[in-house]
Amino acid sequence: MRISTIAFANLNRRKGKAMFLTVGIAIGVGTIVALLSLSNSIQEEIGAQLDRFGANIVIVPQSNSLALDYGGVSVPGVTFDEHQLSNEDVEKIRQIPYHKRLSVIAPKVLSAAEVEGQQVLLAGVDFKNELKLRRWWRITGRNPETEGEVLVGYEVARALSIIQPTGQAPQRGAEGGEHHSTEEQSQFKIVKGELQIAGQPHSVAGVIGATGGPEDRMIFGELLHVQKLANKFGQLNVIEVSALCKGCPVEEIVGQIRDKLPHAKVSAVQQAVKARTEMVARLTRFSAAVAVVVLIIGALMIFTTMMGSVVERTKEIGVLRAIGFRRTHIIKGLILEVATISAAGGFFGWASGLAASWVVLPYFSETGVGRELNPTMLFAALVGAMLIGTLSSIYPAVRAARLDPSEAVRYI
Amino acid sequence: MAFIAIENVSKTYNETELDSTVKVLTDISVEIEEGEFIALMGPSGSGKSTLLTTVGAMNRPSQGKVLIDAIDVYGLTDERRADFRMEYLGFVFQQHHLMPYLTALENAMLPLATSPVSTREKRERAMVVLESVSLGNKASRLPNQLSGGEQGRLAIARALANQPPLLLADEPTGTLDSKTGSEIMEVFLELNRQGQTIFMVTHNQENASLADRVLQIRDGSLVGCCAPHEARRSLAVETDHEPQSVYVGQGRTAVSESPVGLDPA
Repeated sequence: MRISTIAFANLNRRKGKAMFLTVGIAIGVGTIVALLSLSNSIQEEIGAQLDRFGANIVIVPQSNSLALDYGGVSVPGVTFDEHQLSNEDVEKIRQIPYHKRLSVIAPKVLSAAEVEGQQVLLAGVDFKNELKLRRWWRITGRNPETEGEVLVGYEVARALSIIQPTGQAPQRGAEGGEHHSTEEQSQFKIVKGELQIAGQPHSVAGVIGATGGPEDRMIFGELLHVQKLANKFGQLNVIEVSALCKGCPVEEIVGQIRDKLPHAKVSAVQQAVKARTEMVARLTRFSAAVAVVVLIIGALMIFTTMMGSVVERTKEIGVLRAIGFRRTHIIKGLILEVATISAAGGFFGWASGLAASWVVLPYFSETGVGRELNPTMLFAALVGAMLIGTLSSIYPAVRAARLDPSEAVRYI
Repeated sequence: MAFIAIENVSKTYNETELDSTVKVLTDISVEIEEGEFIALMGPSGSGKSTLLTTVGAMNRPSQGKVLIDAIDVYGLTDERRADFRMEYLGFVFQQHHLMPYLTALENAMLPLATSPVSTREKRERAMVVLESVSLGNKASRLPNQLSGGEQGRLAIARALANQPPLLLADEPTGTLDSKTGSEIMEVFLELNRQGQTIFMVTHNQENASLADRVLQIRDGSLVGCCAPHEARRSLAVETDHEPQSVYVGQGRTAVSESPVGLDPA
């Protein structure tokens, strides 16, 4: 016989009430666990999507001269450079310690070329990687497949009369899927399949729908072909890198690339990182707000139940005090009861919350990431539930312990 | 020095609603020797239970002192007073107030719950007291599986588990039929014969007549006391009939034959 014997016997005696409290705590903990699991998964997915959305690291040659502007990033002059990037630099980037976090490496060479009598910015790209990076491109026609094929920006295509306005037409996305693009973008068709670029014939594989970006005024050709055309064998003007990571250590990746390419200027695109951070922060704030509300409701429920229980057990507490139980013994017994219930509620809440998040995850997330048993979350659920249960019961327990035994015995 | 010395004890309650005070006990002084069996009688509202809880280290008097075994009970802190109750006092309540969710053995073990001794030793001690009240064979039963008399005996066993020098009883037969009441009183008498000091509040004149001394309280003051034979006569006069049975004085270890130290202040 110990104080714990009395506490557990009391729980056993009031099974209904103990069950009610356990279920209440389990619902509260379950809600928080489900919310955190969901929010965590959604955060991961948003992070991954934002990371995939575009480059978050841009590498350009180290130079003081600014000649062309590309995608809001200043690119050194394309006609002369002391420290050009090269094809080998792409391989060096693939060797950094965080290389597994790099989802896309898209090298480019830029050159001004005469096309049908007009000066146009010609970009040599690795189409496979470039199209991964430009997921928002909507291409009318098809992706280039051979050296002599090019993709033409919307404004260039219009200026060179490559396209003609027409009705609604299905278009292909950058990765080949069917898309219905905006009205303006869709109302054209390719009417001219050949172009003279730098005096050589090229065929137009596709036209990029208007994006409002610099690509509208560019022509894209195969990297090696453009390097040859521009007489820049093995040279690159810019390398764009998309780092795929949660809680992305972009600055560390930038540092590692700088170590590998000391002659290059490596910079993180802060907007993408900030947007991602802001989105994740909003989700976290929302989850935290809901968790706080649930915690307050849970704490009030425990508090009310325990207050009722103390009133109901006035006689019993009076008898124990009369027998010689100290105030601390009474508090210990009551807290032990609540801690036991809270631990059970915490465990069942964790299990049900996790199960619920797994059930609803497919409705919120495409990838369904985060379906894993997280021991830290179990530990947090148990400790959190016991902490809330105990804190909510301190006042009722102290009040019970403060019962004047002679007053309590009056009821007897 | 007497085992229990109640010195000029008064108790006043403030009635905040009426903005007045109610005097429940007035300047009570009495001494009780170790091994004595004291019955406290008086009409309802006379202050019997207040005096009992005051002696029981649960109800601080407004004035005066309660000394038990030369310890000034109300000079102790609240927690030390709880320890004192655990060590010195055993309570038997009118309606027993056993814990319905604990077995007879567990109920008897209650006063030992906070003791540092092993569970095995607690169990053994509880079994001893259960057997002393003839409940050894019903140790695993819940209180609602026991008869009224057995419940009363279990309440006594619980009060005796920590071997307290003083047993306090608040109308222990008040809710029992006469046969069961007699059964309980037999247990008290047997305990008293073995040297147990007992302080019992009762309405029952017959039960009171079994005590060594009867203290009578009216309006918060002790108004009379007497040795057993005087008590029987006094009770007979008061109630106009003789007690039916008397078991007074058998095997007591310490009996005060002198009149109670009533202080007629």
